[in-house]
Amino acid sequence: MTKTYHPLVKRLLDGELSLSDLPLELRGEGAEALRLLGAVDRAPVGLSAQFEARVMAEVRRRAGSPMRRFWRGLVEPRDIELRLRLRPGIVWGAALAAAAALALLLTRPSQAPEGARPVRLAARDSVYVRFVLYAPTARRVAVAGTFNQWDQNASPLARVGGGGVWAITLALPQGHHQYAFVVDGGQWVPDPAAPGVDDGFGRRNSMVAVTARGARIL
Amino acid sequence: MGQREQATDGEVVRAVLAGDVEQYAVLVHRYRDRYARFAARMLGSLDAAEDAVQDAFVRAFDQLAQCREPAKFAGWLFLILRNRCFAEQRRRTREGRGLEATDEAIAGPDRPDGNVEQIEQAHALERALVDLTPEQREVFVLKHVEGLAYDEIAGMTGATVASLKMRMHRAYDRLRELLKEHT
Repeated sequence: MTKTYHPLVKRLLDGELSLSDLPLELRGEGAEALRLLGAVDRAPVGLSAQFEARVMAEVRRRAGSPMRRFWRGLVEPRDIELRLRLRPGIVWGAALAAAAALALLLTRPSQAPEGARPVRLAARDSVYVRFVLYAPTARRVAVAGTFNQWDQNASPLARVGGGGVWAITLALPQGHHQYAFVVDGGQWVPDPAAPGVDDGFGRRNSMVAVTARGARIL
Repeated sequence: MGQREQATDGEVVRAVLAGDVEQYAVLVHRYRDRYARFAARMLGSLDAAEDAVQDAFVRAFDQLAQCREPAKFAGWLFLILRNRCFAEQRRRTREGRGLEATDEAIAGPDRPDGNVEQIEQAHALERALVDLTPEQREVFVLKHVEGLAYDEIAGMTGATVASLKMRMHRAYDRLRELLKEHT
């Protein structure tokens, strides 16, 4: 059976020591080990000349598929214009009524305070969804997802009171959206109120389904 | 490509997601060679590597909307390719055929930069590498072929530096044993 390398020789191979750092009796073994690394082939590997053309042909084919067009239709950002016309005499009344309606829609005693909640219909094919996260030690919180192309800066949450609750209301087009919260610019946090879905690469995204009747977390 | 080549990965990914599919060629051009070498060393065959890299690019395109951090597209693509290489290894093991370092393009006999002895050593090492576990081979390739530091590899793979070192040190011992057998 072949002897294993001495731990110091392994550190030599790791680049943490040089040959002259080794005790004299280990230098022969060290030189042998370095010959192993000397045989490593770092030459570039050439792919065939048609490689890019093949990949792009497949990409174009998939981009044109009905399923992808359908998905893009769901997640593509759209401009939503809201027009409110209020008469001065009823401004405060309307504001109070709206606040009461919002509170009613947001009050779900059986659920945790975090999460994506439907608020009301925003436009014909969009729904306002309120994202709420309890993060008392956070300095910044944002929500990123398929609806804003995972842009961490597009949808920052605002503090609600002084209790560590952060929230934002977004108008989302109908369809399924994956999302996660981004805390302090780098920490990705799945929605604690929503079951996670694997993004295929070992991380968890949350999912919200937006329909004309509202939104529900999946 | 000019200006397109100057665009950051994040800009290109957002352009593709917004519907400009042709921009994806920028990413293919940018990362094809870097990842081809990794895949070739992982799979021991240039043909298998080319298939794996192509699949990885196509799968990345299919799932681009799930790429949380478009600026980190390269690392995300690497994870897809890595999974593809591991899956290929598992498939071959199931089918009863391991990896084989048979491709002349990987340890080419006509490389102008080496003498016969060096070329033979390179061939022997390539043959030995395919006998490592996929995890051992991955850390060896990333460190000694791609020239990455342990903390960079940890950032890419999600493993800790301590576990990477343990894998690597076992790989050194196994390579020593295999090279003795091959010679």
